[in-house]
Amino acid sequence: MLRTEKVLQLRGQQGRSVRVVREHYLRPDVPCRSALCRAACPRDGKLLSDDVTHYVVPDCKVVQDYLEILEFPELKGIIFMQTACQAVQHQKGRRQYNKLRNLVKDARHDCIVFANEFHQHSYLPREKGESMDKWQTRSIYNAAVWYYNHCLGQMPVVMVTEDEDAIRQYGNETEGVFVISFKNYLDNFWPDLKAAHELFDSILQTRRERESESQENNGKEYPEHLPVEILEAGIKSGRYIQGTLNVNKHRAQVEAFVRLQGFGSKETELQSDILIYGARARNRAIHGDVVAVELLPLQEWKGRTVALCENETEDKALADTSGDPMPTGKVVGIIQKNWRDYVVTFPSKEESQSQGRNAQKVLVTPWDYRIPKIRISTQQAEALQEYRVVVRIDSWESTSVYPNGHFVRVLGKIGDLEGEIAAILVENSICVAPFSEIQMSEMPTSSSKNPWKVNPEEEKKRLDLRDTHLIFSIDPKGCEDVDDALSVRTLPNGNLELGVHIADVTHFVAANSYTDVEARARATTYYLADRRYDMLPSVLSADICSLLSGVDRYAVSVLWELEKESYEMLRVCYDKTIIRSAYKLVYEAAQGLLDGDTNVVDDIPELKNLDERTKQKQLSDLVWAISKLTNIARHVRAKRDSCGALELEGVEIRVQLDDKNNIHDLIPKQPLEVHETVAECMILANHWVAKKISEHFPHQALLRQHPPPRQEFFTELRECASAKGFSIDTRSNKALAESLDKANDPLDPIVNKLLRSMATHAMSNAVYFSTGSCPKEEFHHYGLALEKYTHFTSPIRRYADIVVHRLLMAATLKETKGDVKDNIFSNKDLQELCRHINNRNRAAQRAQKQSTELFQCMYFKDKTPETDERCVADGVIYSIRTNGVLVFVPRYGIKGAAYMKNKEGLVIACQGDKSCEWKPGSLHRFQNKITSTTTTGESVTLSLFDHITVKILVQTSRCHADTIKLEITRNAPYQTSDTEVSQKNFHVVKSDLVKQVSQSAEAAQRAQEKARVDVIDEDYQEYCQTKGASLYQLLEEIRDLALLDVSADIRT
Amino acid sequence: MPGVVVLSLPPPPRAVHAGSRSPPRGRPGNMAAPELLSDEGYRADGRRPAELRKVRARMGVFAQADGSAYIEQGNTKALAVVYGPHEMRGSRSKALPDRALVNCQYSMATFSTGERRRRPHGDRQAGELALHLKQTFEAAILTRLYPRSQIDIYVQILQADGGNYCACVNAATLAVMDAGIPMRDYVCACSAGLAEDTPLADLSSPEEAAGGPRLVLALLPASGQIALLQLSARLHQERLEAALEAAGQACRALHAVLDRVVRDRLREVTALLGD
Repeated sequence: MLRTEKVLQLRGQQGRSVRVVREHYLRPDVPCRSALCRAACPRDGKLLSDDVTHYVVPDCKVVQDYLEILEFPELKGIIFMQTACQAVQHQKGRRQYNKLRNLVKDARHDCIVFANEFHQHSYLPREKGESMDKWQTRSIYNAAVWYYNHCLGQMPVVMVTEDEDAIRQYGNETEGVFVISFKNYLDNFWPDLKAAHELFDSILQTRRERESESQENNGKEYPEHLPVEILEAGIKSGRYIQGTLNVNKHRAQVEAFVRLQGFGSKETELQSDILIYGARARNRAIHGDVVAVELLPLQEWKGRTVALCENETEDKALADTSGDPMPTGKVVGIIQKNWRDYVVTFPSKEESQSQGRNAQKVLVTPWDYRIPKIRISTQQAEALQEYRVVVRIDSWESTSVYPNGHFVRVLGKIGDLEGEIAAILVENSICVAPFSEIQMSEMPTSSSKNPWKVNPEEEKKRLDLRDTHLIFSIDPKGCEDVDDALSVRTLPNGNLELGVHIADVTHFVAANSYTDVEARARATTYYLADRRYDMLPSVLSADICSLLSGVDRYAVSVLWELEKESYEMLRVCYDKTIIRSAYKLVYEAAQGLLDGDTNVVDDIPELKNLDERTKQKQLSDLVWAISKLTNIARHVRAKRDSCGALELEGVEIRVQLDDKNNIHDLIPKQPLEVHETVAECMILANHWVAKKISEHFPHQALLRQHPPPRQEFFTELRECASAKGFSIDTRSNKALAESLDKANDPLDPIVNKLLRSMATHAMSNAVYFSTGSCPKEEFHHYGLALEKYTHFTSPIRRYADIVVHRLLMAATLKETKGDVKDNIFSNKDLQELCRHINNRNRAAQRAQKQSTELFQCMYFKDKTPETDERCVADGVIYSIRTNGVLVFVPRYGIKGAAYMKNKEGLVIACQGDKSCEWKPGSLHRFQNKITSTTTTGESVTLSLFDHITVKILVQTSRCHADTIKLEITRNAPYQTSDTEVSQKNFHVVKSDLVKQVSQSAEAAQRAQEKARVDVIDEDYQEYCQTKGASLYQLLEEIRDLALLDVSADIRT
Repeated sequence: MPGVVVLSLPPPPRAVHAGSRSPPRGRPGNMAAPELLSDEGYRADGRRPAELRKVRARMGVFAQADGSAYIEQGNTKALAVVYGPHEMRGSRSKALPDRALVNCQYSMATFSTGERRRRPHGDRQAGELALHLKQTFEAAILTRLYPRSQIDIYVQILQADGGNYCACVNAATLAVMDAGIPMRDYVCACSAGLAEDTPLADLSSPEEAAGGPRLVLALLPASGQIALLQLSARLHQERLEAALEAAGQACRALHAVLDRVVRDRLREVTALLGD
């Protein structure tokens, strides 16, 4: 090793210049990391492939400014020189540097870092008087030449730089090493990579703008942010408050709230959120940023707006409609920016002309209302008018009203189904590229000719239940990914043994394998209205991990020994097993067997080719098992009910399936008891696994908690219920469950449904957490009334279950301590992971909801509301606002706002036949009703839970998602002969809707382009690998969703 | 034999220390913090985790003293001078009846750091380091051979760049040998730190300033006995072993270097003495 020294002049803390001497060691053995290397470089880790046409070496400026382009997977053979990486680290900050590091770590990207400054021959000391830039360029060039020679000239090396001098100076110096500009490089080597060219232009333009801008313009629009030190000190001392900024979707211009984050013991008086009123007080913070807030003096406090408000009406003063004053503050600094990719729309031609002046800069409108308009510098504004586009925010100077950003890529045409779905995915930061080859190569092979087989080695290690247990699964028709199976039998001592068997996914997905990393990133399977994106490759989810009947499968089993009469739990054991499911039943068949209906026997394929005697024998065994199971489930459920488990109504719109073929079969008209039996067994298994892992890993087990709701959130529910004469007791989950059961209006079943959904809104979401991160008293699951709960039973579609499987294995298997324990997350990592999974789950739910709304809108879009029967429906009022009411339309499961005062200030009035029209007048709001009085003296009163007739309109919006709008047409229930029928066939109508929309979208596309259809069909095959989700999963999901705030955006 | 191994437990880290080692606040702009170990496995100065800085040493640099040595470990440069064993100077009452008294002094040259700083009376850190040196060498020198006498060890840091104590110990070992005072073994000292989970041997000053845990080990390599072990900042118990192992390896590597220096010196001196 050679030793040299670097002498640096640094500025000391008092501003004096300090001479610092640093050692610098050079070595001959820096590995080149190329597959081409003929020297004896160590070849471990990631290697640069040898099947590219050239290697490319970007210089410092290129890496700093165009890293996004270098991230394109098409660009291969990139060598990042250490000099360039360090420049990024020093000049661009942590965020950009981490991006670079992740890029290099990612096995899918063909790029490496070469530590050129540590290599004896590629290092160049900086000369006296040489500028930093010059030296960096020289070093990188020298390293590129070295690399070329090291590979014995087998591969030409292209150095890209933005430095004109360097191109002139080095361009022809060495044969085989080319020095060209980045623009030139893209033009010559990637002429077809259009996206990269566009991105390049957009970045370039933004940079130029920023340069020119920094010179002009010194009128400040916003106060400067305070430096970090002051913020930290201020937060510690309690002067500033830290929290996450939440912009009100309906009044995005003016209203935002800061949700307190870990509020200290000092601010006990500050229980509520802090209102940030106006753009200036918000001071350039964007939705989701973590900000520091300073409270304003008491006399400047404002109230939140309670009136319904349409998004496009810009901020007009509505002082008369505001509620009680609440803590109000202003943002003094941003602690953590939470910028992501945003979907935006360019202004249409007319609008862009009005923007005039400099056409180079275009103000684009984000899809999400909560994000401010973004200024983009581009020359393609006209070409992009019809498209949904992804942009990123670069900066937001205090001198600028809007943030600056740059264009990234095009998603699809406005209004086009695929484009809109892509927009939903981007907005929720969902990334679902098809599984890569490297991930698939980890998968075991299984084909119809050569099915996967049990490994004899593994067979010895596992408990063999193939011959001893009658195991069967109950799922909806057409389900392919069966992740749970059940068994029950009588033990020799007369006791019962109940078994829940879950697919052993972790056996195939090794910790930290590529598949595991990908699954962790996805965290869950994403269900959209018409499709789904799987968490694991289909070879696992639909085949090897699916507990199909008649084949051997690995499983993780939970077995309980129960007392034969009282069903008391005597013993429980958890084990890795090998099972062979005997029957793959569908719910209807299982229910039929339970009810003694013999017709369903013919539907069970496993019983077909048997002679009558064995058939009867096996059938009676099966019937015994199912009925025993049902008994046990009833018993367990009753026990849980007595503790106060809640039965909550989810919004039915959720019950939609990605499967387009046989929706009718999948949705039961009446929930069957078998559903509950299966669900109860799963809850039981989850509960016991939660107990086991939290005992064994008291500080690092992954559990699921559902915190008890805050009582003040129930106020609305109580008031609503009292309007109908019910009283709701919300003091405990048990009292709530009982009073909800009682609050049932025999004439109007929807009332109970609405009350239940309101109760749901009042509750917080159930979340995953690490047991080390919160005290034991908070482990409780409020909704299920269980001390401890986790998710264990669906490892195929939830990553949390995979983690729990690993924990359980580590907790139960003692002999293989070493390797299993290594894969257990520490408390800190697990907390981080929980946060990620919770975020992804929320994103998945949001995406699902948004896609459903998209379909609703597309369905109603091409109907003419004046003539079409389908656009008129019955609605129930469930909330009263100052200028309108919120209405639930049971037929379509839509919730929406209906105004009683329109933009011209006219109010609604009723004729003799109860049809409505607009007239001048005024509105009066009371606690449970709202009255509109016209100037002529007529008046209409609408109260809670009134049935009215509404017309469903679609409010189209170019820049945002379309929304459903309701208009009151008659102050009376909707009367048609088929009201009853449509009520009954409600689900069918809903699913028809999805079908219809996707079909018409497809038809439109087919007409447009035949070739594209093939691609889409391929996509369908790729993403919708299995047909249909199991109904148990659906029920589970409804259960989860029931605890979710589905209409937070409707509550203003 | 009592006192063969003096395991000096470090005093709890004081606020003074913690403050001086915490990373500098107020980084210019939003520059990312430097990383101790890059993803490629290099430290900031180009070493791999287990590699030492370059060591250069000379014995017998001053003729007047009984023994003297000069050592460079990277940019840390130390000078050690040994007088004795001789009669007690000053108060005779301090004399120990059964062994020699080891007297150590540690100082830093005013020009040893980036900014010139005068330390006329030494500071608290210097006093502490001198005490540690004393403990270390009482464990290594066969003091019982010289009852009622005194051995003086003076060490000065000429340039400080991390691992000052280690350089002092190594220099003093050579100086004691140069003085011909019998020792049980060489005393080799080296520091070790941690970057995430990887132990780093022989920390340089920027690495020390990063604020992570730092382990200082003085080892008698032949027997593997520990003369001094000091840990600053908190370290998880599970990682201690790895860090200790790395420091031990580094000490053994240093031993090889020092041994060569001693042998070279011996060859030189015998050649001078002539046949």
